[in-house]
Amino acid sequence: MNAENNNTILLDHGAGGKASHALFSKMILPLFSNEYLDMGDDGAVYPVPAGRMAFSTDSYVVDPIFFNGGNIGDLAVNGTVNDIAMCGAIPLYISVGLIIEEGLPINDFQEIIKSMATAAGRAGVKIVTGDTKVVPRGKADKIFINTSGVGMIPDGVNVSGSRALPGDKIILSGTMADHGIAILTAREGLTFDGDLKTDSAPLNHMVKTMLSSGCEVHVLRDPTRGGVGTTLNEIASQSGVGMTLFEKDLPIKKQVNGVCELLGFDPLYIANEGKLLAIVPEKQASKVLDLIKADTFGKNAAIIGQVTDQRPGKVFLETAIGGQRLVDMLTGEQLPRIC
Amino acid sequence: MGLTYLEKFRDPSLAKNLVAAIHKESRHPLRLMEVCGTHTMAIFRHGIRNILPETITLLSGPGCPVCVTAQKDIDAFVAVSRQPDVIVTTFGDLMRVPGSGTTLAGQKGAGADVRMVYSVFDAVTIARQNPEKQVVFCAVGFETTIPTIAAAVLMAAKEKVTNFSIYGANKLTPPALAALMTTPGVSIDGFILPGHVSVITGVDAYRSVFETHKVPSVITGFEPIDILHAVLMLVRQNESGVPALENAYPRAVRQSGNPKAREVMHQVFTVCDAAWRGIGLIKNSGMELKPDFKVFDAGARFELNLTDVAEPKGCACGEILMGLKTPVACALYKKVCTPMTPVGPCMVSSEGACAAYYNYG
Repeated sequence: MNAENNNTILLDHGAGGKASHALFSKMILPLFSNEYLDMGDDGAVYPVPAGRMAFSTDSYVVDPIFFNGGNIGDLAVNGTVNDIAMCGAIPLYISVGLIIEEGLPINDFQEIIKSMATAAGRAGVKIVTGDTKVVPRGKADKIFINTSGVGMIPDGVNVSGSRALPGDKIILSGTMADHGIAILTAREGLTFDGDLKTDSAPLNHMVKTMLSSGCEVHVLRDPTRGGVGTTLNEIASQSGVGMTLFEKDLPIKKQVNGVCELLGFDPLYIANEGKLLAIVPEKQASKVLDLIKADTFGKNAAIIGQVTDQRPGKVFLETAIGGQRLVDMLTGEQLPRIC
Repeated sequence: MGLTYLEKFRDPSLAKNLVAAIHKESRHPLRLMEVCGTHTMAIFRHGIRNILPETITLLSGPGCPVCVTAQKDIDAFVAVSRQPDVIVTTFGDLMRVPGSGTTLAGQKGAGADVRMVYSVFDAVTIARQNPEKQVVFCAVGFETTIPTIAAAVLMAAKEKVTNFSIYGANKLTPPALAALMTTPGVSIDGFILPGHVSVITGVDAYRSVFETHKVPSVITGFEPIDILHAVLMLVRQNESGVPALENAYPRAVRQSGNPKAREVMHQVFTVCDAAWRGIGLIKNSGMELKPDFKVFDAGARFELNLTDVAEPKGCACGEILMGLKTPVACALYKKVCTPMTPVGPCMVSSEGACAAYYNYG
């Protein structure tokens, strides 16, 4: 059987034989090509400067695989790039593991691979090693992607979820809940007026600018699954501090807020894929905010709250009408499979 | 920039004025019950409890449909999902509610075909797409949802979607309020009546309960200004000693409600007695399929062999739903019963009083 001429992915493509080689050399390599991947060895061999490295991994099983503003491919690259950047590192190399369900249209596969190459280019990282498996129909859902990556941490940078201090300001780099709502509406076939698009984006350039500005940054974290609310709870307990958020300052698109209202979701718990939370000393907050706002992906950034020494481990929200409520960790899932 | 229509109902300065008026005018301690779970959620989300004076205690009532669904009905949904070639369809918040044993989410994990839908019509569509399967919709909800369920049954009848059925556990609001008022120990100085339910029932549906018990009652919407306005009206009624049945939600609720929706509802369903979780049987508080539509009754379609299992010991959900206890007074609250390991229904539904206390407290 000539698998190359078929218009869907077949088990042959993952069998390690001619079809596998053709898939890699004709469809994947030309798009991902770089000096380390081109070597064609079992693993990537690359030079590293002295110092500290950050290493992160994430698997992507989002359903649907295509959605407004992106697909599982760029999501998988941006996600790992961002996880490395949130360690205060400059992402350099990533690996890609593909698990494909037999029957995936070749066109879909190509579009996903193309998006991954574009995303890697945009982030300035190299895809240096990878693996492709094909499983029988029903044993996976279209395509699952694992990406892992490494990055170098510049000297003097010390960013961690345990470093938030009372008095620090909490900055969110843009509107919340865009990704989760884009996925939900795509999956459920809900149609709303307005442009509900994923915010999936690489944040490493924004982080690099912040860290090389000389500003002190205590914590960086991307509020993906569980949203801003859950992420801040994690930081509050890691650092043993309390937090107060201000509802009036929370950036959210009107249409996203509208969908949340309609479906009874709290946007504080909805996933983001192109936003970061930066916790910085008060005296540097406005400078860091300006730096974030100057980035392509940070135009709607805002200071959304502050770190306190009250009620350690807890996050509170001052509501627009002057009330106060607890923002607890998300329990269970509001939405299934969003990344 | 001008405020949008919705933003006006969240206007901080308007809220401030209302709160100031409530503080000024409220002299005597008042126990006000928000009947509806959506009100409970809104009150917590906007942090309304801690801006009200100490004189005002807000109690959460029996208006969270998931919370009041009898354990036996949940057991029935689970039992249906265990039948061969069945797709169970449900609103999302019912998924994690425990019956006497497992939950629908648990059944899904174990391999049952349980699907979350946003509308009962999605269930009819699934039935159309899967003619070889039985598609059962777990019909839970108050007057707000019953008309759409009735419309779905009518559609299934018209289009001969014979593999569609519903397992009915729908409930009516006014009979529950009447039952509440005659329960020993219950003391309520005012009802914040549900907005969405009243869109269907109208103001008149509460007239008989009001005339009998003369409890100050205000129908209102779900924005902070709506709720604060209703609280102020209830304070004024109490302080003046002149109880009334008032509508603070005229932008959505008409005196006679939505007669067309009620007509559809009564075309398909007839009033019956219903079991409320934690409360027990309330006369004429449920709706069952009329004989003409009995063919759509999942209860009759499957042999479920359900047994009565006692509700969990120590769980105060019943007393909480009647305003006799607050969640914090329950011995299980936060200790054994959490949103991850809910014992009673008030902890599992996002609109349940216990979950609201836990998540936003």
